[in-house]
Amino acid sequence: MDRRSFIHAGGLAAGAALLTRGLAHAQERPEHAAGQPAGARIAGAGNQPAVVTPNGSTLPWRVVDGVKVGHLIAEPIQHEFAPGLKTEAWGYNGSTPGPTIEAVEGDRLRIYVTNRLPEPTSVHWHGLVLPNGMDGVSGLNQRPIPPGETYVYEFVVRYPGTYMYHSHFDEMTQIALGGVGMFIVHPKKPRGPRVDRDFVLMTHEWKINAGARRPDPNAMSDFNVLTFNGKAFPATAPLVVGRGERARIRLGNLGPMDHHPIHLHGLSFQVTATDGGYVPASAQYPETTVLVPVGSTRVIEFVPEEPGDWAVHCHMTHHVMMQMGHGLPNMVGADTRTLDRRMSRVMPGYMTMGTTGMGGMGEMPMPIPPNSLPMKGGDGPFSYIDMGGMFTVLKVREEPGKADPNGWYTHPAGTVAGPAAAEKMRADGIDPSARK
Amino acid sequence: MRIDPWRARLLAAGLSLSAAAGCAAPSAASDLGRIRELSHLDLPSSTAAEEVEPAATSDARPLLSRPLTADAAVRVALLNNRELRAALREIGVARGHLVQAGVLPNPELEVQVTPRQGTLEHTRVELGVEFDLTSAILAPLGERAARADHEAARYRAAGAVVELGYSVRAAFYAAQATQQRLAIANRALDAFTAARDAARALFEAGNVPELDVATQEAGYEAARVAVAGIELGLLDRREQLQRLLGLSGAETSWRIADEIPRPPEKLAMPPRPEARALSASLELAELRSRLEAAAGRAGLARTAGWLPDLSVGVRGEREDEVWQVGAGLRLTLPLFDRKQGATMAHAAEFDSLLERYHGRAIDVRSAVRAAQNRLASAHARVLHHQRVLVPARTRVLEQTLLQYNAMQVGVFELLQARREQLDAELAQVDALRDYWTSRAAFDAILAGRRVEVMGTIAPAPMSGAAESGGGH
Repeated sequence: MDRRSFIHAGGLAAGAALLTRGLAHAQERPEHAAGQPAGARIAGAGNQPAVVTPNGSTLPWRVVDGVKVGHLIAEPIQHEFAPGLKTEAWGYNGSTPGPTIEAVEGDRLRIYVTNRLPEPTSVHWHGLVLPNGMDGVSGLNQRPIPPGETYVYEFVVRYPGTYMYHSHFDEMTQIALGGVGMFIVHPKKPRGPRVDRDFVLMTHEWKINAGARRPDPNAMSDFNVLTFNGKAFPATAPLVVGRGERARIRLGNLGPMDHHPIHLHGLSFQVTATDGGYVPASAQYPETTVLVPVGSTRVIEFVPEEPGDWAVHCHMTHHVMMQMGHGLPNMVGADTRTLDRRMSRVMPGYMTMGTTGMGGMGEMPMPIPPNSLPMKGGDGPFSYIDMGGMFTVLKVREEPGKADPNGWYTHPAGTVAGPAAAEKMRADGIDPSARK
Repeated sequence: MRIDPWRARLLAAGLSLSAAAGCAAPSAASDLGRIRELSHLDLPSSTAAEEVEPAATSDARPLLSRPLTADAAVRVALLNNRELRAALREIGVARGHLVQAGVLPNPELEVQVTPRQGTLEHTRVELGVEFDLTSAILAPLGERAARADHEAARYRAAGAVVELGYSVRAAFYAAQATQQRLAIANRALDAFTAARDAARALFEAGNVPELDVATQEAGYEAARVAVAGIELGLLDRREQLQRLLGLSGAETSWRIADEIPRPPEKLAMPPRPEARALSASLELAELRSRLEAAAGRAGLARTAGWLPDLSVGVRGEREDEVWQVGAGLRLTLPLFDRKQGATMAHAAEFDSLLERYHGRAIDVRSAVRAAQNRLASAHARVLHHQRVLVPARTRVLEQTLLQYNAMQVGVFELLQARREQLDAELAQVDALRDYWTSRAAFDAILAGRRVEVMGTIAPAPMSGAAESGGGH
């Protein structure tokens, strides 16, 4: 019996928690090793898959006398959030978030940090238990690293978990400009059900005025670019998983001000860990939305049952809108015929917008400021997807190893919502013109 | 003493005696020709007509049938302006005095008849003819002073012509600029109306509170008042020009050429403007003539002081049918009254005029520098408006439209940017008016007349009348 038939045999109405737990154990069977994604790295004992950072990378180690040696360079970078919006950011090793640091419980790490920023910096290993002098808080635990200098941090990662790292000097500026990254410590011995996929998604929020090139670290609200791993939809790489595979998503939030309720479509999941450690199985409960507070990580695990292209996004509606202005008058429902006649005289090139809602704004071919993506979404298989920002797609496939990450799900006939036939409506007693 | 050379010359002139007396007196036509030459303005001959016509000349009609330009307005004013005609006719007073001064005194004839009576056997007839020689000797001196006065009157009239030319230009540019301001203000009013309409539409849809509608309506109404003020300003300026052009009735329907022209890219300043202004100055020339006249009168008084009153006469007496003829000379001895007081008064008048002359020369130099400064500044400002400020506001508008398209700002911000751009255009028109008025003032000084520079209209921005509405 293969996994697919097992799920079907198990019945979809069965309790999701029970089902996924059963599936997870099943995945530990040797035959599932062959089901690993092609080229997937193994990070730890028990065939634990290494984490994948969509749109990102993992920090490489050089092992010297048993010590894992890595090098982080804090530096100004050119960063593209999505085609059409580039920015001057500050990151690590050329990206924001910086490369994901991945280690195994008990590893001794030696991490060199070179400061190429125009001001001092330091790195705080967020959530890790380590010697106090390695905690990276400028002034409290160490001298800040002056521009041009390299400091070294060395510690043993004692507890497995999902952590983060970030600048701890002038945090307001350096975090707002992108000085953040994820830090994963795999357990020495596998804990809980083994997963087939292990993803890292770091949320962040930015204020970039339309037409500007640098995030505004002074912003305290009205953030207008929301990202997963530094990318806004449609530039977010999809997460490809196999139907019935157990997948883990490690969510981290080092955005300046906002918590993010991350919602997954088409499945439910358990929160299996936080940055404080593992959630005991008895304390886990099913969710479809997990709130990731600022300065926190949440780890969710699930086994998708339904193939398809499933939305993964922050459920704050403004967080899936790119660079929309927040001081606009509400035009919905306004009868602007008189205004339009007048405006044709006053401002040639003016077009009233938003009177019937704003869904179509992203597709309008009007000239906009350069280097801006207001109201932009991306192309979908059926039509334009009018969401941007903190949005990505979970692609559940029968054969994930062969799936094209950029391809769309092919729906079996009769499984896509479409126009209702008049005859069927009549048969079902539906009168669309009826007024109640 | 400064007066000496003048006196010496006058004395020499006086001693040349009556050779000069009775030389040709100037005509009104020659006055006009001289004023044309001095003012460099083409004065129509009709201004020297013998008759005072109650109606304006009809020569202006063709000029008024086309859209009026500044040059055409000056020509119309030269044809029609009654103050100018009055000033030109005033030269006639000096001309009359000049003619009078050159006239020789009349001979005095005395006839005495004594009828036969008593011991007188015959009627005795005595005839005497006496000619005031002193007046005849002094006449050329008096005529010279009158000629200088006449010349001063010509300079004064030429100055009035130049000043009228400037006043017409200044009034014309004021009217033209106000007409252009009105057009811009009406476009700004459209933007206010659009903002009001937008607020009403949003209120109708339930999207904004009534406060926003009230705010936009208040802004629109304030803008209407501002536009009405500019409309009145235009009427006022038309009337001001109307008066200078001497027009009334059916002739008041002229139109102004559309837009106030742009200045040349490079401002051409004549070399040594102070020297040019001094040599062209009609007021200095007038003062010089008046100095000459004062010197003439002083010389006349002085000459008259030492010249005895001299009359020659011929007397005849007829008695017994026989005429006895004899000649006589009468003279007074200038022992006590040597016209000392009059000489002193004329000398003082001369000295006072001379002080004034030097003072005026300083004023003219200062005025030409001030006019040059105004002109250079106005030129720089208008170019800055044209090249920088208006394009900058236009870029703001274009960028605001892009931000509007990108849903970063709303329709109210867009309209505000539009109004601010129109404000920049208003300011540019003011700067243009400043430039052309300053140009006309500078040209007037170089043509010989200092003028009071007319101030521009205080800029009345249209943009600040309303707060933006909507948003959160």
